[in-house]
Formats: sequence, C-alpha cells, structure tokens
Amino acid sequence: MKVAGTAQLPFPPERAYDLMQDPAALQKAIPGCNSLERTGDDEYKLSLKMVLASLSGQFEGKVLLTDHNRPYSFKMLVEGSGKIGFVKGEGVLSLMLLDGGTEVAYEGEAQIGGSIASVGQRLIDTTSKLLVKRFFKKLAKIGSGETDAAEDEA
Amino acid sequence: MATTVTKLEKLVGKRVRRREDPRLITGTAMYVEDVKLPDLHHAAIFRSPHGAANIRSIDVSKALALPGVVAVYTGKDILGVGSVVCAADLPGLRKPVHHILAQDRVYFVGHAVAVVIAKDRYIAADGADLIEVDWAPTQAVTDPEKALAAGAPAVHPEWPDNTAFVFDQKGGDYAAAAASAEVVLRQRIISQRLVPNAMETRGVVADWKAADRSLTVWTSTQIPHLARSILAGQLGLDENRVRVIAPEVGGGFGSKLNVYPEEALMGFVSMKLNKPVKWIESRRENFQTTIHGRGHVDYLEIAANRDGTILGLKLKLIQDLGAYHQLLTPAIPTLSVLMMPGLYKFRNIEAQVIGVFTNAVPTDAYRGAGRPEATHGIERMVDILAAELKMDPAELRYKNFAGKDDFPFLTATGLTYDSGDYAATLDVALEKIDYKGLRKEQAKARAEGRYMGIGISTYGELCAFGPSPATPAGGWESATVKVEPSGKVTVMTGCSPHGQGQETSFAQIAADELGVPIDDILVLHGDTAIVQYGIGTFGSRNTAVGGAALHYALQDIRDKAKKFGAKMLDADAETVILEDGHCTDPKTGNSVTFQQIAAAAYRGNIIPTGSEPGLVATRFWEPSNFAYPYGAHIIVSEVDPETGQITIKRYMAVDDIGNIINPLLVDGQLHGGVAQGLGQALWEHGVYDDNGQLVTGEFMDYTMPRARMMPWVESAHTITPSPVNPLGAKGVGEAGTIGSTPAMVNSVVDALSPLGVRHIDMPMTSEKIWKLIHGSKA
Repeated sequence: MKVAGTAQLPFPPERAYDLMQDPAALQKAIPGCNSLERTGDDEYKLSLKMVLASLSGQFEGKVLLTDHNRPYSFKMLVEGSGKIGFVKGEGVLSLMLLDGGTEVAYEGEAQIGGSIASVGQRLIDTTSKLLVKRFFKKLAKIGSGETDAAEDEA
Repeated sequence: MATTVTKLEKLVGKRVRRREDPRLITGTAMYVEDVKLPDLHHAAIFRSPHGAANIRSIDVSKALALPGVVAVYTGKDILGVGSVVCAADLPGLRKPVHHILAQDRVYFVGHAVAVVIAKDRYIAADGADLIEVDWAPTQAVTDPEKALAAGAPAVHPEWPDNTAFVFDQKGGDYAAAAASAEVVLRQRIISQRLVPNAMETRGVVADWKAADRSLTVWTSTQIPHLARSILAGQLGLDENRVRVIAPEVGGGFGSKLNVYPEEALMGFVSMKLNKPVKWIESRRENFQTTIHGRGHVDYLEIAANRDGTILGLKLKLIQDLGAYHQLLTPAIPTLSVLMMPGLYKFRNIEAQVIGVFTNAVPTDAYRGAGRPEATHGIERMVDILAAELKMDPAELRYKNFAGKDDFPFLTATGLTYDSGDYAATLDVALEKIDYKGLRKEQAKARAEGRYMGIGISTYGELCAFGPSPATPAGGWESATVKVEPSGKVTVMTGCSPHGQGQETSFAQIAADELGVPIDDILVLHGDTAIVQYGIGTFGSRNTAVGGAALHYALQDIRDKAKKFGAKMLDADAETVILEDGHCTDPKTGNSVTFQQIAAAAYRGNIIPTGSEPGLVATRFWEPSNFAYPYGAHIIVSEVDPETGQITIKRYMAVDDIGNIINPLLVDGQLHGGVAQGLGQALWEHGVYDDNGQLVTGEFMDYTMPRARMMPWVESAHTITPSPVNPLGAKGVGEAGTIGSTPAMVNSVVDALSPLGVRHIDMPMTSEKIWKLIHGSKA
C-alpha cells in the first residue's frame, strides 16, 4: 500500500523537525499511542492501540529514523505487530518552509498482514489517511503550545 | 386370503417435500458444533499471518501459563502423525509434504502453526493470542503467472520453478487443423479464485477411548469413509476402531471433499490428552484455510472455417494450485481438459496444463470442479468465433453440435458421452424465450442507445462420478436395504448427502419398489459405524451412482420377499407378483402383505428352499461410464451505461439431466447452482495481494450473491435417460453452476458488442463494466 500526502504545521521546519524526534511529543501526537521510549540514538519502541472495523488490538513496534537532513528531510522505518496483524513500512518525510510555517510531504510504502489485512482491507486506506491527519493536527497543537486534555479522541 | 389391494401412488417423479426440512427449520438438526460430550475440551489454532516466512522460534510459555489452558502443541510434537493426503496422481507430480502443523516455515496465510487446548473455546482463543513466533518473512508469490517467471520467489525451496506438474493431452491433430483453418482466434480467459463458503464452516470433534483403542471423529465432511481410512493411516490406528460421523453437514460444494490437517490434529490431541476435543472453524479461518475453487488462467485458441465449422481447440491452462495439494488439487484441471470439447463434434484438440505453486490456500474441487472452467472457455470461444464470423451464436452452435444419432459419442478427448439430443434442448430454450423476438427487441434497444444482451451457453458436463478406474479413490457406491421385522425399511447409503435431499429421493425410490408408505422408510448415512462402506458425495453422483446401488439392493429384497411370499401362499416364486405392498398369486388371487412377509422372514418358521432368514440386502454398484447431463441456459441482460450495473431481465434454463426422481429437489439444486455460477460471473473473487495476504477475507469484501440479486429462473427439461444406470438419471448438482457463468458473460459481452467489446473477464463488477464503457468512449 502506498502512503503519500502533505500536511501543514504552523511553525518553521526546524521546530517541526525537532518535534518529530521528540518522544514525548510523538507519544501525544500518535493516535492510540500509550507508550513511546527512546531505545537507541534514532530508535524508538512504541506501543499503541489500533481500532479498525471489527478489530481492535494492541500493537508493539519500533521506529527507526535515518538519513537525517535537518530540517529538510528524514526517513522513517516502522515495524509493528500484534494480535490482529502486522505493519511494516518505510517512508520519507520532507519539510519545506511555507508562509512562515511548514509543509510536510510524506511518501512511503506499507505492508500490512494478518487479520487487519483480510478483514479491514477496505478501510485501511481511509483509516491510515485519517490517522495521519490526526497526527499532524495534534502535532500542530503541541508545537504551538496549546494544551488539549479533552481531545484524546484516538 | 384374497384381499383388495389399494393402488399406491408412485412417488418417483413427484414433487415430494424434503423430509430433512422439519429438523432443519425447527433448529433440532445436529451439526458438529452441537456435539456435547462430558469433559469436552476446546481447541484454537494459531495460524501464520505471513504468506511466506521462516519460523526462527516459537514461544508458547505465556499461552501455557494462562489459567484454563491445558496443552499447546507445535510442529515438533506432531511428527509422528501422517501428513495431509493427496489422492490424485499425475506423471511426475511433485507433492510437498504438508504436515498437520507447520515445521520450520509457513507458506500461506492461515497455515496452522500451533494448537492450544483449553477448557473452553474463549480461553483457547486467548491462549492462541499469547503465542509468540519469531518470524523471518520472505517474499511471497500469489499470481500463478508471476510464479512461473524466472527469478520468482520459490514457494517450496526444493522446486524453484514453482511447477508441480505439466500435463499434456492431445486428440486428433490440432496443428494440422489450425494450418488448414480459415480463421484462428485467440483469447486469454481467467476463471478467478472463488471461496466456496459453505454456510456451515468446518468443524471436528475427536473422542479417544484408550481402553478400547478407539477413536470417534465427528467432522463436517462429504466423505466419511474415505476420511476414516485416511485418518486411521495418519494416526496409525486400526480402521475398524476409527468411527467417523458426518452429522448434519451444512453445505460443502466440494470444499468438504477433503481431509484437512485439523481432523488428524484433533485425533492426535484427543489421544494425547485422553479427552474429547472440539475445534470449530471460524468464518475468517474458513476464508483462509478451506480450499478455494477455480484459479485458472487459460490461453485458448479456436480454429474454424468461415462457414462456422469448428476444426479444433488449443488450450494452455495455468492452474493456481496454492501452496500444497489437498485431496484432489492436481486432478481438477485435468477434468477441464477432458471437458474442453463441450457439446461439439470437432476432433482436434491440444491441451497443456501447468500446475503452479503459489503462496495461497490450495485450490480443489468447488461445485463443478474443472468443468465450469472448461465450459466457460469453450462457450466463450464459440461466441468469440460467432462475433468474428458475424454469425448468430445459436446457429453456430447448431452447426457444431454432436448429432442425436451420434451416441454413444466419442469426444476429441476420449470421453464417451452417453446420450443426448443437444439441438432439441436448444430448440426448447430458444422457443420458450422467443429468441427471434428478443433479437428484434435488441435491435430496437440498440437504436435507442440501450445496451441489451442475449447470452447463450450450451453446456455439457461430466458427472455421476464415476467408473473406479477414472477416479482416485474408487467410483462405485453402496446401499443396504434392511427390512425390519415390522416391515419398516431402513436404507443405508454410502453417499453422504449434505443438503441435496437423498433422505427424500431415496425414500421415494424405495417406497415405489417395495410398495410401502414413504413414512415407513428411514434413510441413514454419514456414519461409518452404521453404513457398510461408501465413497461419498461429489461430482453429482448421489442419485446416478448411489441411487443405482439402492435400486439393485431393492431388487434383491424384492426377489427374496417373493420367495417368502410364494412359500406363504404355497405358490410359485417365479409367478407371484409383488406390487403395492402385496405379494399375490395370480392363479388364486390370494396375497400376503409385505409386512407379513417381513415378519415371517425374521420369525424363521418357514424358510423357502435355498433361502435364509432375514430380509437385508447390500449392493456395491460400479458404473461402467460417467453420465453426461447438458443443457441450454439463456440470459437476457441490460447494462446501464451510467452506472455499469448489469440487470438480468430473463433467465431461461433448459436442462437435460436424464430421468428426474424429484422435481422439487432438482429445482433446488438448479437454483443454488445458478446462484453460485452468477456469483462467479458477476461478483465473487478471492484476491491475494503480492505479499500473500488474502484481502477478501470476510463477507464485507467478498461479495456473496444475495436473494435480492437473483433473477427469476424459468426452468424446463428435456429428458434423454442415461443408459449407464438403471434409474436413467444423470445428475444435477453442478448443472446450474456450469451453465450459468458463460451465459452471463456472453450476455454482457453481447450487450456491449456495439462498443467493440469481445471479452470480459470475471467478475463483471459494475466498476469494471463502467470503466469498459467509458474507456471505449474516450
């Protein structure tokens, strides 16, 4: 499955770039994420709850960040698995200054297996878009210093 | 003793209501899931989420630690159990050893890796969730043509070309025919993977009694006796100490013409734990691990003259086998080759089947098993030829039909068709639907810019399986008729019906032969401890083969009853008449009832010379040939260019299935068959992605036909009895599936032919049709 799109953040690329490497910010921004910790220089371990169609389950995974080119781009490799399946993917995030803010362009490929592939197939595309949208929306708020306790909707 | 004998109504040929239905519609039928035993344990199976992966390690400790979990077994535990059996054989066939639990690698999504046994089903499922496997995924391949390409990932490392077998068959000289032909046309035709989707998923209960060294297995199967033999072999048990019971079986369509890993696995577990154990397949497991059907890519070539004479047919058939062989997997495409000639008399044929391993669940027999694919191929090619020659497709068919005087008709593939009058059947269909009028209506519709199509399929099929030399595990069938001392009649049949209604039709046959009320007859089946032996149910064989065995057993009962009757009447056994439940001496008019004869036979006071007490007969009947039903299905359709939606306006089915025992059952079989055939033509498709994930893994993504999507089926019959069996029956279990699919595609192609459309691959979804229409306008 191809994943591609763009998102806007209301602060400059340097801030956006750093936020996207900050475990505390990421944990808050990633929908359903209940823990995220740094395990190595560019390695993170995370645990999140995923809901898709009639399925829901805990995912344990790791994230690897490489090809750093602050504040322009970096590469992200994600691997996660749980009772309801597994996800494996990699993508490049490019950051660009736009009207004083940042435009993030992401492009990558994901492989999905297990129950989520056979049961939630028709929803994966729209759900992943929705999750990405939520992620950036939250990140925008965190980066702007907004507090939003009431908005834990994921 | 002179009596007035009341004439009993003959039941064969009547619409007798199904005697099975009261228990089904009152919820009192017993399926495998309904089997409850003291201390019953439950199994859940941990399966591969990967299409291809090596197993580095398996950690079952967390599962074992879960309260309520009794045991967990993995591949290393089951090495003493025989692997899954494939009964089919072909020269040079490569057979992967498929253990009942995976060893060091998995090769399709759903491959069983471990089994968790617990006190209840929910704990077992929770336990399975706690199993941790360290996977090393490898690249999968699911498209059979990609699997054949150089450098493709190997499904089985020992066979890097992914080729399980190459099978060639020739008849006549196709190359010469093609060289002399005025027209040679080619088309690639796909018969897509289908998921059989029996309403009842699979299920197994195994109960080991160590003291008796005996194992009882309830399983949802079409072949209880073959399953018993196979299970005894896999588990190293005595065949006579294994009892297999197929209770109510909620559909199979060929998918239960198999012995799966779970059957031996439950036997193994029950023997290990000394406890009864149950496994019920979930719907998701059913999608992933019960066989699929079809899976063809066919390259067809037809050679003909401009006057419409078909000279020959060439086929390269790429069969997606899946990752291993189930019971008959490699044999199914060879049936397609046999039926390639359809109803036509051309003599030249050249076929090659390439069986290809893919990282997918195996394909195997699914309603029609090889013949729907063949029929779709030939019936599409005939229409493609008609379009090329600008000839009416009905006329082209008439020109090439084997004639009614050609029977027994030897086909280009070496089959001997038993009986038929193909032109007469098509006559009836064309007349009933007013074909000429429809063509006029179509011309008018086209002038108005509407897309109306008329699709004909004149299908033939090979069924009533079959002569034993032509079947992998014996093709005969058996019947026992046991007249009880009271005159009540128990019939035990070796075919194991799973919804077709033989408890009704066999009772009709027995009632007519013995002259007893149908309510006096009980038909038993599906239990190896009750039934003598049997092959099972598949290939439209129950009536034509099992019914024939019953017919002969009934003749034995009649002969013996006449001997007893004659003795009781002090008459000659050669001249007494057994009719309407009475044995009558025509000289005196004296008679005794069938019930009196039964009582006497068991009382034993008078025994006719050369006879013996009791009134029981068993017959094993071997057919000398298959039977060959055929028919003409015509579909009138209209395509909405705005939405791509196909509407079926009329459906005409004229089928010749030989003599009909019960028209109600025939209608039911036809309607169900048509639904499944239209399902393939219009909606159904089992899709794997390139990583081996089954992306149509539930009913939200796999479109099953619904009642509202079905047309009204107008049905009629011509009858040419089969000379192969004494009932003259041919078989109807698969006819609807085989006839409907090409009729549907031919109809839609005909509708869209003004746009230059020559072929459409199935399923013909609205999206596909819309793109076709709008693409061609662009």
